[in-house]
Amino acid sequence: MNLLTLIVVLPLTGFLLNGLLGPRLGKSFVTVVGCGLPVLAFLATIRAFGQLDGAAGLALVESAYTWAVVGDFSFDIAFYFDRLSALMTLIVTGVGSLIHIYSTGYMKDDPSYARYFAYLNLFLFFMLLLVLGRSLLVCFVGWEGVGLASYLLIGFWFEDPAKAAAGKKAFITNRVGDAGFLLGMFLIYYALGTLDFDAVNAAFQGPVPPAVSASLVGVLLFIGATGKSAQIPLHVWLPDAMAGPTPVSALIHAATMVTAGIFMVARMSPLYELSDTALGFIMVIGAITALFMGFLGMVQNDIKRVVAYSTLSQLGYMTVALGASAYSVAVFHLMTHAFFKALLFLAAGSVIIAVHHNQDIRYMGGLKKYMPITWITSLIGSLALIGTPFLSGFYSKESIIEAVKISHLPAAHLAYWAVLIGVFVTAFYSFRMYFLVFHGKERFHQGHAHGNEDDVHHDAHHGGTPHETPWVITGPLLALALPSLAIGYMTIEPMLFGDFFGSAIYVADRHPVMHELNQEFHGAVAMGLHAITTLPFWLAAAGVGLSAFFYLRRPDIPAAIQKRFAFVYSMLINKYWFDELYSAIFASGARLLGGTLWRRGDQNIIDGLVVNGSAHLVERFSRLVKAFQSGYIYHYAFAMLIGVFALVTWFARLN
Amino acid sequence: MSGTDLLLWFFAAAALGGGVLMLVARHPMRVALALISSMISLAGIYAVLGVHVIAVFQVLIYVGAVMVFMVYVIMLLDVRDPSFLERYGRVVVPAVALAAVLAAALAVAAGSGRIMTAEELALFHDAPVATSFGVQPFSAEFLDQYWLHFELTSVLLLAAVVAAIAVIRTGRRRDG
Amino acid sequence: MDRTQLLLWLSFALFSLGFVGVMIRRNALVMLMCMELMLNGVILSLVTFAERSAMLSGAVLVFLVFVVAAAEIAIAIPIVLLLARRRRTLDVGAWSELRG
Repeated sequence: MNLLTLIVVLPLTGFLLNGLLGPRLGKSFVTVVGCGLPVLAFLATIRAFGQLDGAAGLALVESAYTWAVVGDFSFDIAFYFDRLSALMTLIVTGVGSLIHIYSTGYMKDDPSYARYFAYLNLFLFFMLLLVLGRSLLVCFVGWEGVGLASYLLIGFWFEDPAKAAAGKKAFITNRVGDAGFLLGMFLIYYALGTLDFDAVNAAFQGPVPPAVSASLVGVLLFIGATGKSAQIPLHVWLPDAMAGPTPVSALIHAATMVTAGIFMVARMSPLYELSDTALGFIMVIGAITALFMGFLGMVQNDIKRVVAYSTLSQLGYMTVALGASAYSVAVFHLMTHAFFKALLFLAAGSVIIAVHHNQDIRYMGGLKKYMPITWITSLIGSLALIGTPFLSGFYSKESIIEAVKISHLPAAHLAYWAVLIGVFVTAFYSFRMYFLVFHGKERFHQGHAHGNEDDVHHDAHHGGTPHETPWVITGPLLALALPSLAIGYMTIEPMLFGDFFGSAIYVADRHPVMHELNQEFHGAVAMGLHAITTLPFWLAAAGVGLSAFFYLRRPDIPAAIQKRFAFVYSMLINKYWFDELYSAIFASGARLLGGTLWRRGDQNIIDGLVVNGSAHLVERFSRLVKAFQSGYIYHYAFAMLIGVFALVTWFARLN
Repeated sequence: MSGTDLLLWFFAAAALGGGVLMLVARHPMRVALALISSMISLAGIYAVLGVHVIAVFQVLIYVGAVMVFMVYVIMLLDVRDPSFLERYGRVVVPAVALAAVLAAALAVAAGSGRIMTAEELALFHDAPVATSFGVQPFSAEFLDQYWLHFELTSVLLLAAVVAAIAVIRTGRRRDG
Repeated sequence: MDRTQLLLWLSFALFSLGFVGVMIRRNALVMLMCMELMLNGVILSLVTFAERSAMLSGAVLVFLVFVVAAAEIAIAIPIVLLLARRRRTLDVGAWSELRG
């Protein structure tokens, strides 16, 4: 039975049904279709995973149909299910289903309810194409498609021009990365004549490497990942993407789409193993992103932006792990991050609903006693994020830090310090947010800050006390809290050191990272207990302690620091002026180029020189010829004589 | 040189002289008279050659009809026309120069054998006259072999008459 | 030079004189007369050849040329007259409507 095709087609059906019939058939229809189909897809994935279990080395391959045939190359839509794509698909459909259910509560008052679910299902369809695609081509179709869905969903409330602009920014920035991806794809096709993952990976693993620069292809494909996974310098779209509804942020910008880049690099591990240059490049970008985006998280006042920068920083961690050749560690962190970051976003959404769409954390506080479920799940999520021992985030983060320490790449030293400092920074900003929202003085009656979404949710009791949100919202929070607690502990051994990924991920012998990690690993419990003696634990504790001190005890200190280091603060608030830089260089540059081409090229050269110029030339020439047409007969007769003369001369010469 | 040759040379000179006079004379009447004298000299040449029919027709048709018509028209016109006073158009110098050059070139070419080889030139020398160009053989040949052409000329003349009438009527209408 | 050559040279000379006359004279009627001179030159060469090759058809052709010349002059002169009446002059320099 074509399980994989079914998994992919179910959300597509949801998109079509909700998109075409949804507005007419009412909310219940949309809810049932919109949530039910992803849940079915999740069940189908479990079934497929079960079928895969027996043979860890083999993969399921299904061919859906032939898209095009060009010469002897046939573009097939085919699906490939090995351990790596199985894990991704489980995350996508599982977390995705939870978020769909959450959305029914979050978006219940929105007039475009059907459109929302249609787009969400569309996103799921494309994401599944991405992770299940057998060839780079199908993967790229999904890649572009999730960019499209992201644009549609970020700009969901497009009547607000700022939100529409955020959607455009995301799409355009992604496109820049996609150019790199395309070039990499072209090179691979040129060298190997195929785009199928199994064939490509086998070629790169084989004894004779293909005749293409692995560094070049690796870097190009990674540029695509930079755009999709929001690494520096193509990270600028992610904070702005918070303009979309909170469930969208949770699904797309925490759990799934932004992880596509990580997935792609892990998928192409044989290629990257051939090139230390590419790996070094990846590691540097990841390290820079991890640290500097963390700094930005410390000064944000919008609750969603804090979580957004946290996502950027954690993506940097995953990228660093990829650079250290620890692909399985990166994917492991991807999985744990999906759970606790989605949890944090959904909890933020719950808080936003409760305080009537004010998103400024300076006007929250003391929510612990009004929203217990949200509070406790938020706490769990934050603890998991900072790497509290025994929670899921701890296992993945520790492994990353260890892997970077072991790595022999020249950039590893820098990256190690970056991820280490990042631990402190992460702890600081996540608990700053936690304390300001759930503890301390209650400030939600002060200030009239307008959140992003207040146009949509117009509440009757504006300014009343917050209360816990309904079950449809808190249920998914609880459902996500459990894996955030436990999944690291349960799966670290089989995933990293067991044979979970099998042949899906390939690590070359000269990068013995996983071997050395394995030697230091003595079981999940031991790792947890051992943590107390390691530096990251104390750094995280220091971060929590410092943020508690600043924001619970002495709130005047942060204000004083802000005044004292005004330049640094300004740099952080302005996001290192990346947006201004891009606007000045690319946007103004494009405008300048366009303007110059218009004025010089079109007006002066084409209109003036070619069109008008040729007319002038013809006119001048005809004026010259006009002199011969005097109208006098004797001139004409003379011309005849000249003609005779010419002919006679010619004939005389010929003889 | 025999008598016919002398006569021929005389008539040739007369024709040439008439032609030159045509170019030089001021009054159109004098030009017409020069042309008439040229034509009569030509008729003389034809007669010397023995082509009597053509000689007669030259005088009858060309001089007797065409030139008479021309003389009538000239007599109708005003003497004070500016073209009487200023004989030559603006291209006189370059035209004459170019024509002279062309003529000289052709003469040299013809003489030096570039236009025709010596054998071909030899064909242009005299040949004995075998046929008589009297009226009777001429008309027999004409109406025998060239009957169609005869009819066509009558059509042509009809067309000319119609055209002349049309021109007169147009002229009359235009002058009111 | 013998007879035939003389006559041919004469024919060429008459033709050239006529052509030059067409080019240089300003009076329209004089131009017509020069055209007649050209025609005569051609007829002379035609007659010379006809006599030399003893072909009567040459003479017939000459006759037909006469007819055509007569018809031509019968039309040309009225046309010139009409044109002259428009401009009140016979000067060909006055007529330049074909300019440009």
